[in-house]
Amino acid sequence: MYDAGKIISGIIIFFILVSFPIWISAASGTIGDVPELNLPADEEQCVEDAEWMRANHMDLLIDWRETVVREGVRVYTASDGKEYNMSLTDTCLDCHSPKAEFCDQCHDYVAAVPNCWSCHVDPGGS
Amino acid sequence: MATRDLHMEEDEILFKPIESSGKNFYLTASILGVLVILGVIAYIYQYRNGLAVTGLSRQVFWGVYITNFVFFIGISHAGTLISAILRIVKAEWRLPVTRAAELITVLVLLFGVGSIIIDLGRPDRMFNLVRHAQFGSPLLWDVTSVAIYFTASSFFLYIALIPDIALLRDRGNSPKWLYQILSAGFTGTAKQLRVLDILILIMAIAVIPIAVSVHTVVSFVFAMTIQPMWHSAIFGPYFVVGAIFSGVAALIIAMYLIRKFYNLGDYLKHKQFNNLGLLLLVMACFWFYFTLAEYLTTFYGNEPAQMTVFWSKFTGEFAPLFWAMFIFCFVIPFPILAINRTRTILGTTIASISVVIGMWLERYVIVVPTLTAQRLASDLPTYMPTWVEWSILAGSAAFFCLLYVLFSKFFPIIAIWEIREDREKKREEIIEYVRERLPEKGEELEEVLPE
Amino acid sequence: METNRRVFLKVAGLATLGFMVTKPALDVFARGQFGEASVGEALDPPHEVGTTTKWGMAVNLTACSEKDGCTACTDACHDYHNVPDIDNKEEEIKWIWTAPYEKVFPEHGNEFIEDDLRGSEVMVLCNHCEHPPCIKVCPTRATWKREDGIVMMDFHRCIGCRYCMAGCPYGARSFNWKDPRPFIKETNPDFPTRTRGVVEKCNFCAKRLSKGLQPACVEACPEKALTFGNLLDDHSELREILATHTIVRRLPELGTEPNVYYYKAD
Repeated sequence: MYDAGKIISGIIIFFILVSFPIWISAASGTIGDVPELNLPADEEQCVEDAEWMRANHMDLLIDWRETVVREGVRVYTASDGKEYNMSLTDTCLDCHSPKAEFCDQCHDYVAAVPNCWSCHVDPGGS
Repeated sequence: MATRDLHMEEDEILFKPIESSGKNFYLTASILGVLVILGVIAYIYQYRNGLAVTGLSRQVFWGVYITNFVFFIGISHAGTLISAILRIVKAEWRLPVTRAAELITVLVLLFGVGSIIIDLGRPDRMFNLVRHAQFGSPLLWDVTSVAIYFTASSFFLYIALIPDIALLRDRGNSPKWLYQILSAGFTGTAKQLRVLDILILIMAIAVIPIAVSVHTVVSFVFAMTIQPMWHSAIFGPYFVVGAIFSGVAALIIAMYLIRKFYNLGDYLKHKQFNNLGLLLLVMACFWFYFTLAEYLTTFYGNEPAQMTVFWSKFTGEFAPLFWAMFIFCFVIPFPILAINRTRTILGTTIASISVVIGMWLERYVIVVPTLTAQRLASDLPTYMPTWVEWSILAGSAAFFCLLYVLFSKFFPIIAIWEIREDREKKREEIIEYVRERLPEKGEELEEVLPE
Repeated sequence: METNRRVFLKVAGLATLGFMVTKPALDVFARGQFGEASVGEALDPPHEVGTTTKWGMAVNLTACSEKDGCTACTDACHDYHNVPDIDNKEEEIKWIWTAPYEKVFPEHGNEFIEDDLRGSEVMVLCNHCEHPPCIKVCPTRATWKREDGIVMMDFHRCIGCRYCMAGCPYGARSFNWKDPRPFIKETNPDFPTRTRGVVEKCNFCAKRLSKGLQPACVEACPEKALTFGNLLDDHSELREILATHTIVRRLPELGTEPNVYYYKAD
């Protein structure tokens, strides 16, 4: 093999660079971190069950947004028959404020950047 | 095989730009490149800091970008429309001009559309134009019409280019793979040529109403509002006339530069400049007529809201620009083009430069004064474009020129096959003519005449 | 073999191309005519926005000009809606403001107008026109007219082309030339702010109306110069005022038919 030394050291450097995020988390001690959600103590269930919300909250929010803004309808009837005011700040954040302890936990973890907060305001924090 | 018995050594000068690049090319390309980079920097700056970096304001919310949009789309009428009309009327002097013209159309449309996107507050959401299309808005008519025009004129340019690409492929020019793919298996059989002729004719006819619709709906963006001096029924045809006017001028300038830098004086002759110069003269007269009709009716009607705008152009803030427009669009080009002695290659080019400047000013003087003098303006605001807007204008124009130059480095800017086909046809016509009258000389002539 | 592979490649290529072209087109239809998303949830409560309501406003010119330099309505509105306070004419954003009488009613701007009106400041806002020229030109239906007459803005959808500003003859619309947030002194979490690059204007306090509240400006006016109500309700105070006073609307010759009325007190 020609230039074996160069190739092998090149491969090593490549792997160091690729695994860089792992090293940096290991060094800062955040490697085993998982999102910690601050759940409301006085509520049993979200507007829909948690499993469904985890998977579909973004669709639900878009749907609320379209229904409220475009149709002027503000009442949401959940699958269990309970009615809610379709509002990010009044309903969602009523339980989940500050967003830093709920929304941001997972969003930061998976590096998702929802653009809700470029307009909507979290009453419980910046 | 291939491309029949065409002589490879003929028209050698037309291949030269593709096969070698001189100092001039690298100099031009780098100057244009620097301007493009300036424009890109300006746009990045605007993208990061918002439209606040422009001179636009709450009241004068449209400015240089919208002017550029109308102007660039106007220039696009140079090409496909002129080329299509000349093809249909079989004007033979068109042959060395058509491709240069069609290319202007295709390339400049990109910058017309680009100007709109640059003007958007949320360019990241521009696909809402498709997702939530509201066809009641003239802006959607523009999107539709320009998209069709771009598709049609690109196709038109391309099909007329195929035989020349095949020529380059057979000469073995590189990049080989490019010519191999783009020549689409063209070998110049009689059947292929027939299909090509039919396609070109169909496209030529189809493209004319499309081109007219494009500039009509561009004008409708303004004419459909109820703003003073925009809400005008004459705007559709007025804009189409202005578009052809500026388009022909742009074509003449392009021809002049091609002639000079690629030494194509044997192809782009006085005849081409003279004939296009006459067309430019006709368009100058049309432009004058429409301008007169537009302003005289406004003046005579004397409606207060309209008159505020009217006077801002005639004697007020915009008077210097308005009268400069008039001088550049009419006072300078008209005599140059009307007098035989000055309608030379250089003369028509100078007149054309004047027209292109004048027509940009015309678009500006249509867009901006109306906004400074809207009905309920509490005071007359001013608008002064910033370096960002000027840089983007310079960058767009330079980018267009750069793409044009680069195209001419990969494809012949003059349609070689059409010129050869025409030459062959002429030769046969001459032999036929002689044979009919002097049968015994016919054979002789056939040997003498170069193929 | 060779032919088979070529046929396959051709078919695959065409299929990809076809999908690329048709997918967005199908999406347009899939999202319904006006692009509203449907998620398949039960979303059928009674419409709060119905055809039995048409919101309107009457402005008492006399009462409004009572207090010199009063900005109570503007302050209330702008505070509630997080309207940034940008102090220059080029980039300012305003939902409700005042302008000189002769400018607001150019057709009344004759030489010999009544002394009490000459030079007085008149409160102006979006007229929520019956035939709004702004919504016709919006290419994405980011602004549209609700059944209750409110000309709404959807800040989520606006692309910032500013064509609606060209459509509106009243100058009621403002554009966010820069990020508005640094210019909002105190943010009201009840209402979103806007981002850079979208158009905004008065929405007749659609959110307050849904809670049964009067618009912020009406509530704040110390002179009670503003009357808000349902134009389709024969017994509303608004209709009473319109029936018993001489009414003017702005630029009536344009046929936009504003739902904001102006009158002089008896």
